[in-house]
Amino acid sequence: MAAGTLDPPRPLDRSGSFFKLVDTFALEIGELKQEMVQTIQPSAQHPEMEVLPGLEGEVSGLYLQSHTCGGTAGARDSGYDSLRRRMSVLDRLMQTHPVWLLLSLSDEEASRILLQRPPGMFLVRKSSKLQRKVLSLRVDDVSGPSVCDFPVKESQYTFSLEGSGISFADLFRLVAFYCISRDVLPFTLKLSEAIAGARTRSELEEVAQLGAGFWDSDLCYRKRSPVSPVRSPPPKPSQEGQPVPPQKEAPPTLRTRAPSQLECGQSSGALCFVNPLFLQLHHPEGGSTSTPKPEPSTTAPERLPAHNPPNRAGGKSRPPPPPRPPPPRRPVPPQKQRSMPETVSWDHRLEQLPPQNRRGPMGSKISSPSFSPPKKSSAPIPVPPPRVKKQLSMSDADGLRCQIAMDDKTIEKALSRRRTATQLAESPSPPGVPAAVRDGQRLSDMSISTSSSDSLDFPHGFSLPGPSPPSGGDVRATSSEDEEDNEDDEEEEDYGVSVESDQEVNVPLPFKSKRRHVGGTFVLPRALKGHFRKVSGVFNSFMTPERRAVRRIAELSRDKSSYFGCLVRDYVSFLQENRGCHTSGLDLLQTLRQFMTQMKSYLRQSSELDPPIESLIPEDQIDRVLEKAMHKCVLKPLKGVVEMALRDFQLSSGAWQQLKENLALAKAKQPHELGADGALPPDPVAIEKIRHKFHNMRKMYSPEKKVALLLRVCKLIYTIMEDNSGRKYGADDFLPMLTYVLAQCDMPQLDLEIQYMMELLDPSLLHGEGGYYLTSAYGAMSLIKNFQEEQAARVLSSETRNTLHQWHRRRTAQRITPSVDDFQNYLRVALQEVDNGCTAKTLMVRPYSTTEEVCMLCAQKFKVPDPENHALFLLIEETSQQLAPDTYPQKIKAEIHSRPQPQPFHFVYRRVPNLNLCIPADQKNGNCPPD
Amino acid sequence: EMAIRELKVCLLGDTGVGKSSIVCRFVQDHFDHNISPTIGASFLTKTVPCGNELHKFLIWDTAGQERFHSLAPMYYRGSAAAVIVYDITKLDSFQTLKKWVKELKEHGPEDIVVAIAGNKNDLGDIREVPMKEAKEFAESIAAIFIETSARNAVNVEELFQKISRQIPPLDPQDVESNESFKLTRQPPPAYKRCC
Repeated sequence: MAAGTLDPPRPLDRSGSFFKLVDTFALEIGELKQEMVQTIQPSAQHPEMEVLPGLEGEVSGLYLQSHTCGGTAGARDSGYDSLRRRMSVLDRLMQTHPVWLLLSLSDEEASRILLQRPPGMFLVRKSSKLQRKVLSLRVDDVSGPSVCDFPVKESQYTFSLEGSGISFADLFRLVAFYCISRDVLPFTLKLSEAIAGARTRSELEEVAQLGAGFWDSDLCYRKRSPVSPVRSPPPKPSQEGQPVPPQKEAPPTLRTRAPSQLECGQSSGALCFVNPLFLQLHHPEGGSTSTPKPEPSTTAPERLPAHNPPNRAGGKSRPPPPPRPPPPRRPVPPQKQRSMPETVSWDHRLEQLPPQNRRGPMGSKISSPSFSPPKKSSAPIPVPPPRVKKQLSMSDADGLRCQIAMDDKTIEKALSRRRTATQLAESPSPPGVPAAVRDGQRLSDMSISTSSSDSLDFPHGFSLPGPSPPSGGDVRATSSEDEEDNEDDEEEEDYGVSVESDQEVNVPLPFKSKRRHVGGTFVLPRALKGHFRKVSGVFNSFMTPERRAVRRIAELSRDKSSYFGCLVRDYVSFLQENRGCHTSGLDLLQTLRQFMTQMKSYLRQSSELDPPIESLIPEDQIDRVLEKAMHKCVLKPLKGVVEMALRDFQLSSGAWQQLKENLALAKAKQPHELGADGALPPDPVAIEKIRHKFHNMRKMYSPEKKVALLLRVCKLIYTIMEDNSGRKYGADDFLPMLTYVLAQCDMPQLDLEIQYMMELLDPSLLHGEGGYYLTSAYGAMSLIKNFQEEQAARVLSSETRNTLHQWHRRRTAQRITPSVDDFQNYLRVALQEVDNGCTAKTLMVRPYSTTEEVCMLCAQKFKVPDPENHALFLLIEETSQQLAPDTYPQKIKAEIHSRPQPQPFHFVYRRVPNLNLCIPADQKNGNCPPD
Repeated sequence: EMAIRELKVCLLGDTGVGKSSIVCRFVQDHFDHNISPTIGASFLTKTVPCGNELHKFLIWDTAGQERFHSLAPMYYRGSAAAVIVYDITKLDSFQTLKKWVKELKEHGPEDIVVAIAGNKNDLGDIREVPMKEAKEFAESIAAIFIETSARNAVNVEELFQKISRQIPPLDPQDVESNESFKLTRQPPPAYKRCC
């Protein structure tokens, strides 16, 4: 299908002549100049509507170009080769993070390392003093060399340096930016020569392998003089040198400006996020051309590019730091034509290649497995460990963006050349891996491609899945692709809301740009849709750091070579095969919850996640992100099994039957019979709407997402209750109404849903709003489940209540001093003195306290000097009787209370009457209670 | 930057005593735009500064009707504090309050801060529960006591301030080192006696 759809555009092809290219460059430069002047004018004013057509144009442009390229392949190679070697600062940083991202490094160790290095060298670590991440920078101050720590501020979604207004989606972007622009720093960060000057990924890899040891290694001190010429892109056109001086300079510029910018540029808030293009531009090897007019110093081959030597920066007088992230810009037609199409066109080209050639690119992908385990797949993926790191760097979305931004023709050249030669050598593709699998991998790779030379292949690879692999793996490829799509959909379904809210809250840029792209795909002709799906896969790389992290973890969970992957897989398959092994549904759910919690803490402690999640996600969000990842890698595959198991338990215990019966009873009740008489109940239409929401809830595997739907239901109930009255309803009204609604919905399945949420929801969320309404739903459901019993009990309790009520009323009516003596552990006792009247106190008296003990307590409380002459008496109406020492006042009190018509009574502590001082009442009731 | 501590607070008391009115009043006064609104009045949140910390109250209302009584443990489980509300014009509601006190003592979280709020003190002329009586009771169980009027916004803020002050700070050392905090902080009530 790919081929067919792609072909039509061909006619549009602009002859692809070399001159055309030159023209384009000229145009680009002109635009660039313009851009320099009128920087930020973009996003806000361009509603998506406007952008979309542009994208479409871009796409068609793509096809054209691909064909053009074919003709001129040889010619363009020259320029391209040098491009290939370029890796952006971001790439370099991502690949070498084990060297500079040393979270657990102590203050002392950091100082020791940095003080031996020139100013500008840096580390990122977590300061134990500040309990937060810091950028430790080697500086020169008045007193000599020292190390300065710049705290990293982690907001809910972004990273920034304290005091700076610029925030970044992750630490890599932050550091990359400060390699180019000093902002709040005294000067820009400087990369070690071994990192800045590396020409290939394997060189970087070598560096990364050393980890913190790099700083003490020879590599760290080594100068790379021999290679340096290559580093500067312009000077050394690689192979078929095409002497077009202006061009050499130009390509970088073009690249920067081009499509990629469309992508980033359209979104708003450019200042917030650094456009990777920008980074690439300024990257050591070549890109210093960010400014329209070539700056001699920067262009100089030998020089470390972007960042001026710190010394020179010395401070403020340093040449204007590179512009901040390029202003969002509207796509300019020519550019559009370049960017996105490329991916597609590559696709097309690939098809035309002989199979072996194809294998090249794929193979390379395969070699970098950990991040792109074949979706779902069962095919073993060879995962050479070293490559893993590479992949990480590839995962960088922005890198991809840069990639796409490159001149497609050039890229194609490079690709084809590589295919035939380099590729196979560089990335041995395991022979045994079926093409389909490779395709699958390619898909996942899409999200991780970089702008490095190796990775050039990747973005194209993404579009590959479409074209049928030689072996009729087409179907399989497609299916894996579909799975991928599904997964995305589900993810969208599950997390879409939160992503949405992310967007609102914080980082407008990246998300929006991603969105746009997706939007763009919709504009495409139907025929292209399949391809575009893949392309949209590419754009997954534009997802938020959160989604990237979740995806990485999910991928890791499928990577059989990782310990985490093994644990997850073992557990999942165990449960799938032994769902009956639990004693109850509750037991199963709790075990499951425990497993997820353990896996989360494993991920936090192990180093299997690379780069460390701390570099992508702000500290206080890590747990939440891990939780999401667990839902995806554990709950998602287990949802069906768990449901079946819960259902089995429910059926076998008889709970299901009981629930259905009680539900039917409850459903027959009017709102007021359930206590919901304070507000308007939902009508049948609303009930139907709510049922619909509950049905959707059942499809989710994420407890959080389910709870989100529950909240929507509750919100709807509130809205109906309030009925525009503005009245606020508390639990007295809401809980009965919720009970009524649940009964009306008549969905016994909800019981398991609630149980699922209750047990699997992240415990940290249980105290919040979701937890509250979940608890309420659980409560309402359990009332319904026990409806018959509850009704029976209520008769009893309401009778009791009535009795009590009458008693209280009478007491109140008699205006007897209110007392607390009816409360079980308290006893109100009056001290009656012959001359002073009564004083009363409330004493703590346990049910099994004897009269003797109470007397002692009274003596103490009333400060009676002669307790031996006092005793406790019970006065009822006009009668009085002395209580024997071994009786229990609280029991007596309870007995009186329980009488059908309790009479007012008092406990009185008073002097035992002498023979002379007999109170008539005493005589009347002279007998002590039976012992 | 002050750390935010989330504190679950459970509201108990007879239906109609004004549990949710008190909390609505508390949350609505000084409306904080930073706080995302909740979907309804049964669950409300409000953040208040306390010493070195910010206390974010997550306030769980309960249904006061007898039939929901058995659900209460799910609501007060994990609560840092419970506010038991009675209506000063309804003696019954005070009796109910005592049942709640008892239940909390027996089944509630250890160290739960109990606050007793006599609501509707704007209706003093038909009062059925004397303040002295209630106060003594509160003292006997070492509970916070305050009479409030949700209608007139009397003592509502104070109720929660008192609760805040009884929540032990997370990091006692910080508190020690902060003189001003120490000075302004009221010593925890010393009601330990039982009568």
